[in-house]
Amino acid sequence: MTRRMLVLLLLCCTLPVFARTAPLESLAAADVPALVKPPAHGERIIALWALDCAYCEPNLAALVKLQRTHPRDVQLVLVATDGPAMRGAVAARLDHMHMTNYPARLYAEPNPERINYRIDPDWGGETPRTLVIRADGTRVGISGELTLAQLQRIEP
Amino acid sequence: MKRIGCLFLLLCFAAVPVAFAQDGMHMAGMGHEPELGTSAAFDAHGRLWLVTVRDGHVLLQHSDDFGKTLSRPVEVNQVAEKIYDEGENRPKIAFGPQGQIYVTWSHPLAGPWTGYVRFARSLDGGKHFSAPVTVHHDLARITHRFDALAVDGHGRVVVAWIDKRDEVRAEAAGKPYLGAAIYYSWSDDGGKTFAPDRKLMEHSCECCRIALAREPDGDVAAFFRGVFGDNIRDHAFAVLRTDGKAVHVERATFENWKIAACPHQGPGLAIGSNGVLHGVWYEASHGPAIWYGQLDPGHPPTHVLKIGGPGAGHADVAVRGRDVWVVWNQVDAKGYRLMLRGSHDGGDTFDAPRVIADSDVAVYSPQLLVHDGHAFVAWNTANGFRLVAAHSTPGKTP
Repeated sequence: MTRRMLVLLLLCCTLPVFARTAPLESLAAADVPALVKPPAHGERIIALWALDCAYCEPNLAALVKLQRTHPRDVQLVLVATDGPAMRGAVAARLDHMHMTNYPARLYAEPNPERINYRIDPDWGGETPRTLVIRADGTRVGISGELTLAQLQRIEP
Repeated sequence: MKRIGCLFLLLCFAAVPVAFAQDGMHMAGMGHEPELGTSAAFDAHGRLWLVTVRDGHVLLQHSDDFGKTLSRPVEVNQVAEKIYDEGENRPKIAFGPQGQIYVTWSHPLAGPWTGYVRFARSLDGGKHFSAPVTVHHDLARITHRFDALAVDGHGRVVVAWIDKRDEVRAEAAGKPYLGAAIYYSWSDDGGKTFAPDRKLMEHSCECCRIALAREPDGDVAAFFRGVFGDNIRDHAFAVLRTDGKAVHVERATFENWKIAACPHQGPGLAIGSNGVLHGVWYEASHGPAIWYGQLDPGHPPTHVLKIGGPGAGHADVAVRGRDVWVVWNQVDAKGYRLMLRGSHDGGDTFDAPRVIADSDVAVYSPQLLVHDGHAFVAWNTANGFRLVAAHSTPGKTP
């Protein structure tokens, strides 16, 4: 075996453990104020999604694309509204969607209603929900898979 | 070789914290933190029955003291299997005319959103259950889930569910398909065998519970969220015919809530002995709202009343004679309140909203049960199951 092949083999063996670069953190009701605090500049997009929701995957993909277009001005946080018992399934779905490079959160309560309400009282829990919090403190909340016009509206 | 050794060590050290993080994730995802999905029902003798899920088993318990103490759990399915018990997926329970106990649940398969609707029955008062069977004849590994269970006036076991066979077929043909579909089946032999799957409606919402209730003539009717036109997620009503006649589905709510999303909130239905269809439903065309109305399928409902706005969710409705009850969860930053509105004139007018229980910990959707003319609310919480009498006040044992 050549040196180069050995290095390649070692790299291949360790790649799977590098797959998730951002940990899947729990989001308790008490953590919400920090999550929704306006960013220092640009905007934070909180992408709320759920395992049951087939509309969420294309919506997350569209938001990832938007963030990549504005890497300095958009912080993207992926928040799964599924409860703690679904942690394994949520992590697997994020891996499957190749969305492991973004900060990801998972609700810490088995019923999402209280955390939903703390994030946005004008939201009844439908997913996907996109919440944009701008540095000036203004907010935009949109339920449903974002249309092209809505994506343009939330661009920084 | 020394350089390679260094590189190997570096890679190992760099990988350690991530590997631990992954392990922690998988440990926590083993399903030891129970979900709250629960169903309850009173049998003909006034005994309260409860189905919950733990470690791949549907568990059956009963109570003869209105939920204060629960019997030792009996495993409905002897062999553990994955069971949907979060969101609006929960096991269901119903009784046959000779005291049979029927239980359904949805069993997830490998792919996202997939599942089989499962059924088991007990003929000895809940001591033993038959081996579970899959209700639908279509065994494609696609969506068949969000089961709903009822027994009709002739003792037939009726099961409805959300099904994606038409969506899968359309997708394979390169055609767009909005939402899923509602299918149903029934059993004429007490759950031994089920009739071939029957389509109720194409284009339903994908993850909202289906509400079933019995009409005065004994037929079972369904109220569920459909997809009308271009993603308008209003509700439909239909009788689940078991006599070979054509099903007749009609739109029953008309808020025109257009959205490509999962509302995760299905409706509630109760049918009076006079045939009045009492419905409760969620929509957010102008902000989150829970509505009560008397359904007039094909036309907008009458006696429409806004039950709740922001923070209100997962309502249920029950009727007995002229009494109508509506309950829902009201959440705020502190916790949950179980709310009730009562009517004594058949739903024409309602009393002011009342708090009948509260909880600092997570709760499941409330389920209204009527026993001996009195309303009770089955309310599962992270601190345990509670049966709350409609006349209760928070902090007091009902």
